[in-house]
Amino acid sequence: MRRRVGGLETEFGLVCVRADGTRALEPEAAARELFRPVVAQGRSSNVFLRNAARLYLDVGSHPEYATAECDDWWDLVAQDAAGERILAELVGSANARLAEDGQDARIHLLKNNVDSQGNAFGSHENYLVDRRGEFTRLPRYLLPFLVTRQIVTGAGGVVVDRPLGEPTAPGTPRFVFSRRSDHMWEAVSSATTRTRPIINTRDEPHGDPTRFRRLHVIVGDSTRSEVSTHLRFATTDLVLRLIESGRTLPELALADDIAAIRVVARDLTGAEPLELAAGGTTTALEVQQRWLDLASTVAEPAEQGVLETWQKALDAVRTGDRSWAAQHLDWAIKERLVSQVVERRGVALDDSVIERLDLGYHDIDPSGSVFASLCRRGLAPAVLDEERIAAAVTTAPASTRAHLRGQVVTAALEHGVDHVVDWTTLRLTRSGSAPVQILDPFQTRSDEVDALLARIRGGGAPTPGAV
Amino acid sequence: MSQQSINAPRPGDDEENASDAVTGGQTFASAQGADDLLDEIDAVLEENAETFVRSFVQKGGE
Repeated sequence: MRRRVGGLETEFGLVCVRADGTRALEPEAAARELFRPVVAQGRSSNVFLRNAARLYLDVGSHPEYATAECDDWWDLVAQDAAGERILAELVGSANARLAEDGQDARIHLLKNNVDSQGNAFGSHENYLVDRRGEFTRLPRYLLPFLVTRQIVTGAGGVVVDRPLGEPTAPGTPRFVFSRRSDHMWEAVSSATTRTRPIINTRDEPHGDPTRFRRLHVIVGDSTRSEVSTHLRFATTDLVLRLIESGRTLPELALADDIAAIRVVARDLTGAEPLELAAGGTTTALEVQQRWLDLASTVAEPAEQGVLETWQKALDAVRTGDRSWAAQHLDWAIKERLVSQVVERRGVALDDSVIERLDLGYHDIDPSGSVFASLCRRGLAPAVLDEERIAAAVTTAPASTRAHLRGQVVTAALEHGVDHVVDWTTLRLTRSGSAPVQILDPFQTRSDEVDALLARIRGGGAPTPGAV
Repeated sequence: MSQQSINAPRPGDDEENASDAVTGGQTFASAQGADDLLDEIDAVLEENAETFVRSFVQKGGE
C-alpha cells in the first residue's frame, strides 16, 4: 500500500503513592479516581474523544489510549503526544482532588511496559494491510526486521540475568536495547496476555474485511522520544511496502526468533551472530542495514529524512559513537543518563535508584518527570511544535476516517447529544436513529455523516438527564 | 508526508541557549547542563526510590 493507515495503542502503568513512597491507593481505586471526569462526561470508562482516539480502562486497571487512524507518521506522533497530554491532565486534576480531600496520595502514570514484579503491558502498533496480500508469507520477512528493530527503536533499560531456575541467585545486571524482548514468547500467535507473540494474528480489520486486514505488532517498547516513535512506524511501513511490492527480498528468516530477540537486546554492538533458518549467521546490524538499503528503492522523496535518521541510528550502534543517538533515541538517551547516575552515585546497575530513574523517564508528568527535564535542556528531542500537539488534543487527523468520527464526537459533546461510536460505526442513542458505518479507513467525506451532523446540530437539545 | 527537522530542539524550550551566550563556552555550558540535569533528577531519585519502585505493582495488561 502506498498510503497506509496506522494507529498506536498505549497501555500506561499506574501507581498511587504517599509522600514516603508507600502505596496510597490500589490501582483499581486510583484508576477510578483518574477516570472520574471521563465517566462524568461519557457515562462510561470507555469513550472516543474529540480527536477520534479511544480512551479506556483495560485489563489490570491500565489506562489505555489508542490513537485515531493516521496515514502520516508525524500525525501519529502528534496524536500519541496528545494522548499523553490528555492523560497528564487527568492525572493533574485527580491529584488536585486527592489533595483537596486531604489525602496523602499522588498518582503517577508511566508510559513503560513492565512493573517492578515483571508484569507486562503493551504498546501495540497497527498497520492496515491489503487482504489480498499473502498474510501467511508476511511474517517470514517481517519477523527478522522486528526482532532486530530494537537496536533503533528500543526504549533501553536494565535487566538482571540469573542462572536458569534460580530466581533468588545473585544476578548479572546489564543495560539492554529493550526490556520488552524478555516478555516475548512466540513469533506469531493470537495470544496477548499469556504467551505473548511478536505479531498478533487476531483478525479484527476495523474495516471492510474483504479488502483489509490489520497487522497487529506487539513487540514494541513504549517510546518517549518522538524520533523513536516516528521511526517505529516509518521504518515498519517501508518494510511492509517492500514485502507488498513483490520484489526479491532478503531471506533472513532466523532459526529461533525468540532466542535471537534476547541476544539482540543484550548486545549493544549489534554484531553478535544470529543463526539463520537456512544455515549460516547474520547480525542485527546486517538485518537492519539490508532492509534500509532496500527501502531506499521504494521510499518517496518526502521519506528521505526517514532513511537518513534510520542510517544515523545504525551508525550509532556500529561505531559506538553515541553523540547523535544520545540526544534522539530513547535507548541511547537512557543509556547515557543511566551511566551518568551510576557514576555520580556510585551505585550498581541493578540498584533501585536506577529502576526509579527508569520509571521517572517514563513518567508522563509534563513538568516533574526525568524526561521533561531532558527535553527542557534539549537532551531529548522535541520535533513537533507546540501548536501541532495542542491541535491534536482536540482535532482528529484530517486525511482518514478519523476526521468523520472526530466531527461527530465533537458536535455531539457540544450539543449534549447522547452517542455511541466505535472504530467503524457512528450512532446517536435516541430512538429511530440509524447507525452510520464507515468501512473504508481512508474515507473522509460522507453524506450520511453530514446528515448525522445536521441532526446533532438541529435537534440537539440535551435529553433529560444528560450531562 | 510532512517533513520535520529532527535535530532541532523545540524553540523556546532550551533555556541553556541563553546561558551559553552568557558564559560563551559551549563545553562549559554542556557540562554545566549535565550537572544541572543530574541535580534536578536527584530530587526524584532521593524521594524514597526503593519504596516507590516496590509500590509499582499492577496486574499485567495487553
